[in-house]
Parts: sequence; structure tokens; C-alpha cells
Amino acid sequence: MDEFNDNEIARLLRLKRHEQPPPGYFENFLHEFHRRQRDELLRQPLWRICLERARELMFRLDVRSLASYPVAVAAVLVCAAVISLKIYQEPEKTQVALQDAPALSTPANAEGEWTLASPVATRIFRTQPLRNFDQSAQTHRASAPPRYVLDSVPVSYEPTFKF
Amino acid sequence: MDQPRRDEDQELVARTQSGDASAFDQLVIKYTPRLYGLVYNMTSNHEDTNDLLQDIFAKAYKAIRGFRGKSSFYTWVHSIAVNMTLNFLKKRGRRFQLSLDDVDASIQNDREFMELTATSSPVREADLSELQRRLNEAMMKLSDEHRAVVTMFHIQGMPHAEISKILRVSEGTVRSRLFYANRQLQNYLDEFRKNPVS
Repeated sequence: MDEFNDNEIARLLRLKRHEQPPPGYFENFLHEFHRRQRDELLRQPLWRICLERARELMFRLDVRSLASYPVAVAAVLVCAAVISLKIYQEPEKTQVALQDAPALSTPANAEGEWTLASPVATRIFRTQPLRNFDQSAQTHRASAPPRYVLDSVPVSYEPTFKF
Repeated sequence: MDQPRRDEDQELVARTQSGDASAFDQLVIKYTPRLYGLVYNMTSNHEDTNDLLQDIFAKAYKAIRGFRGKSSFYTWVHSIAVNMTLNFLKKRGRRFQLSLDDVDASIQNDREFMELTATSSPVREADLSELQRRLNEAMMKLSDEHRAVVTMFHIQGMPHAEISKILRVSEGTVRSRLFYANRQLQNYLDEFRKNPVS
């Protein structure tokens, strides 16, 4: 015989089936698989874990089937309704704000008394100064350096303490 | 592939897809020995095989949600295993060492082994470890693609049609690769035939 024929080659190669890993290898393989999966999971950043969980959830809910034509139309209609509502409301809000602005700058009642009935916001948060810029500018002398009134009552009007 | 095995696999795949991880464990237990043989005979290295096999099942688990059952799970998981092993072998290149598993003692009772030792003088004269080394060296001289076909056909006993599905090539290509690989193996083993004890 000059060389191995095809049949002998095939039979020789089939002997390789007897090459087997150490005993217990297949029994431990699953345990090792779980261990590596856990290790890999712990190495991943939190955002990636969250992303994968979200993807898994979407897959379970089968989002693709939910995104059918009627659902898509309904979603578009809802979005359009919300946007149009916002557009419709926005100018009114601006108008109200303009009308309300002087009311916020005035005291809760005419005398400026603080009563429990007056709204808290109008008493505590004064959003507008008592005098506007032009009025306050008239009180300043041209040559004098600018003075900043930090309170509604100038410091010079405070009574001096005498001991 | 027999129908009961296919049905059983389908059920396990469906359970895995619905979130039952224990079903995938059963698939791992079922396919580990077979895929181990495939990867081991393509790499001739136990440690590489172990690492690759872990990666193969990890990839299969991640990808199983997208598995639509167009092919059987058997074909699908074998495709993953072959592709990942071929990629690994490309990266590994020619620099590697054989790390062979022990030959099972049951080989002594193998009918084919007994016939070979009775009829073939090189096999009779060489000791078992020498025969194993020569066979593995000859296998590793084949190209990766040829080795894959030889492993699946001769060692794992897969039919041509199944191999063509796994490799996504025609059956003609499978047969052609087998023919070419057999010729090469004959040449590589010729030295062993002439000089069984080196």
C-alpha cells in the first residue's frame, strides 16, 4: 500500500472522537459559564446595564407590534393635541403676566399693612421696585455719584439713636 | 436532524426568549460536548477551546432573542461556533502550541481502531500518543476552512447538507473542500506511514 486511502483517512480521523477533556469538565462547564456571566455583568457600567434591561423590556413587550398603524395615528393625534393646546395657552399667559405685574408691585392693601388675608407672595416677594428708573434718576443730583437705594426707606431718614 | 430533538430545542428556545434562563442552561448542557468537539478539533488546544466555548454560548444567549427559527437551533448555534472559531484562528495565526486532550481509554475497544491496528502497519507500530500527535499536526496544516469541513464531516459525522447550511456554502463547495483536504491529509500523513516511530 503506497498511501492511506480515503477510507483509512476517514477512520483515522474518527479516532479523534476519543480525545476527551478531563473528567468533570462538562459537568463544571455550566457553573463556569454562570460565573463568567456574573463577572462580566459586574464589570459593565451602570448605564449599560440599564440600557440592556430597557431593551429587554421593550423586546418582551414587543414594541414593534404595538407600533401598528392605528396606534401610530393615535400617537400623532395626541401629540398634535398637546402641542396645539400649548400654543393656544401661551399668549394668554403672557397677557396675564403683564396685567398682573403692577399688582405684584403694589402692597397687599392700600395702607401696606400686613394681614393674614393678603397673599403671601405679594407681601414677601416684591418683584418690581417702588419707583421706576426714571423717577429715581430725577432725585439724583447731576454731579453726585450714583446712590443705590437698597430699601424703600432711605438710610438718612432712619432715626438716630441717642444715648 | 431528528424531529423530537428539533421540537425539544424549539421549546427550549421559546422558553429562553420569554426570559426563562434555566431553559438556556439545558441547551448549554445539551450542546457543550458536541460544540467542544467541533472547536477542539479546529484549534487542537484545550484552553483555547474552553475560552471560545464560553464566548460562543455567551454570544448565543445574547443573540437568541433575535433567533426567528428560520433554521434549527442546532444549525444556528453551530454557525456561531464555526464563525467565531474561524475568526479566532485568523487572529491566532500560525503561532500556537498543541494542547491535546487525553485519548479516552475506550479507544482500545473501538472496532475501527482494532481494525486499523490489524490492517495498517503504521498504526500498529506507533504508540497512541504518537498517532494522536501526527493526526493533529496533519489537521493543523490544513487551511482553517478545510479543517472545519473535515472536522464536521469525518469527526462529527455531519451530512454534507447540514455542513453547507452551517457554512452557508453550496454542497458542491463542501464536497470539493473535503476532496482537497483528503488529498492534503494523505500527503501529510505519508511521512507517518513511512516512518511511524519518529
